[in-house]
Amino acid sequence: MVRTLTIFGVLLLAAGVADAQSSPPTEQAEQIRLLLERVQQLERRVTELEARPAPTATVSAASEVPAAPQTPQPQAAPAGTLAHEHDVQEQPATVQQMEQHYPSLQIRGFGDVDFAATDQKGSTSGFNLGQLDLHLASALSRKVTYFGEITFNAQPTGYTVEVERNIIRYDYNDYFKLSFGRYHTPIGYWNTAFHHGAWLQTTISRPDMVRIGGTFIPVHFVGFLAEGNIPSGGAGLSYNVGVGNGRGSIISRPGDAGDDNNNRAWVANIYSRPRRFYGLQLGASVYRDKITLVGRDFREWITSAHLVWTKETPEFLAEFANVNHRAVLTDLSTNSQAFYVQLGYRLPWFERTLKPYYRFEYTHTPLSEQVFSNQDLVGSILGVRYDISNYAAFKIEYRNSKRGIADPRVNGLFLQTAFTF
Amino acid sequence: MNATTKCVAAVLLSLILLFVTFGGRSSAQTARGGTDIAVVIHPETPVNDLTLSEVRQVLLGERQYWNAKLPVVLLIRAPVARERDVVLRVIYQMTEAQFKQYWVAKIFRAEAASPPKIVYSNDMQYELVSGIPGAIAFMDARNVRPGLKILRVDGHLPGDKDYPLH
Repeated sequence: MVRTLTIFGVLLLAAGVADAQSSPPTEQAEQIRLLLERVQQLERRVTELEARPAPTATVSAASEVPAAPQTPQPQAAPAGTLAHEHDVQEQPATVQQMEQHYPSLQIRGFGDVDFAATDQKGSTSGFNLGQLDLHLASALSRKVTYFGEITFNAQPTGYTVEVERNIIRYDYNDYFKLSFGRYHTPIGYWNTAFHHGAWLQTTISRPDMVRIGGTFIPVHFVGFLAEGNIPSGGAGLSYNVGVGNGRGSIISRPGDAGDDNNNRAWVANIYSRPRRFYGLQLGASVYRDKITLVGRDFREWITSAHLVWTKETPEFLAEFANVNHRAVLTDLSTNSQAFYVQLGYRLPWFERTLKPYYRFEYTHTPLSEQVFSNQDLVGSILGVRYDISNYAAFKIEYRNSKRGIADPRVNGLFLQTAFTF
Repeated sequence: MNATTKCVAAVLLSLILLFVTFGGRSSAQTARGGTDIAVVIHPETPVNDLTLSEVRQVLLGERQYWNAKLPVVLLIRAPVARERDVVLRVIYQMTEAQFKQYWVAKIFRAEAASPPKIVYSNDMQYELVSGIPGAIAFMDARNVRPGLKILRVDGHLPGDKDYPLH
């Protein structure tokens, strides 16, 4: 444990040095501001000079600018013919440069390196590579877009490659967007908010109920999804409705290569971002599936609700899900529940680079649960996120968790550096 | 092991307290002031008046179409420009870092295909807004030129007493 603390100290020191090197000097920013102001002054001067040779030209174009009382009229309002021609000549080049070309592939990567040490019997401390995650986005036309996400996962015998998301979407308008592919199932909040990029989330790990490779909720979904805004004024309602293959024969995986029964799963998610309370989101989801396990069928109902405040002063995330399984043959029904509450706060000091956080999570599965194994958990994490730069963060966490009644309480120290590139 | 656990917890808590107590570099608040920032759009865009929360919805990428045929094209000034400061402070209510992270996350969530386009000067901004249908940008009201449509925000134009973007 002393070694762990030494490593922690060294990493913290390194992070501090990195911060010292990466912080932009205020003076430099001020100089850039002054230069920009100077550029604007020069632009105005050029416009004035260009306008001089034809002072009597018409101002027909100005009619498109509504009258702005008390607003100083722009110097170019009496736009001369020469100035206008000059603009027209230059305009296509600039506009052409900024025009979207199809396809326009953008690739972004996410990665993390972790260190873990716990007092769990039989566990060993050490470093491990997290997921290397590549995200692809490409507009194929004005209304058709492709999104993909591929992860490389370290295993004892090498690396596995996983297609996490593979989506093609057609946007009709803001109210109706239709897509096909492999998704993160829109149940609750976390699963569709942070995906696999550890840098995006405040904490080192996902809550247990939405753990990658976990079974409590189906993390992935293969099928089609309709989504969009709902005309609702200030309520800011949006929806996702999807139909697809449900859980596969390995319950943690979706039916990528086909469903294992003739029953399609469906999911519906509705959420609100009230305009009056910028940063607030609340929503509810339902998911329905039929699971076939070793010849036995189960009906699955998942209901979920979430309430989040996405601003960072404070950040508040809370999510609850109930998973109901009913054996078709015996009609025996079980209910498992899980929830987490996470609170973080971006401190105003150190150029707002520090964000302490706390999360409590709880999962209960009854002994009579037949579809997945016991997942009981009561756990807390306490940590600090330190943003080394705009695109890299260092996180340190203390975790305390307890699984079953007979299981010992486990304490652990976890470190992570997460980044996007 | 219990003693070690307590030790680790104490180190964490001490660190947090240390940061809270002796946080050295405070984020300097720059003096605000100056002229209003006009919301300008391509003249053929079928919108004249938006509330501030509707402008926010557009800038957050939650509204991506003016109508079924006309997508929104977001233009935003490069860092350090005053227009950008006002947009980040009043509309996004984010720091520069939060703004960058927001758009990385937005694209990662497959909610948008690309971030706002960066423009480096008023001339460039003027050319793009007047040349790209659906374009929306923010410029110092003194620099608005003919050929652009100025949006009313909450019913007010730049220069009005209750105009929110300044």
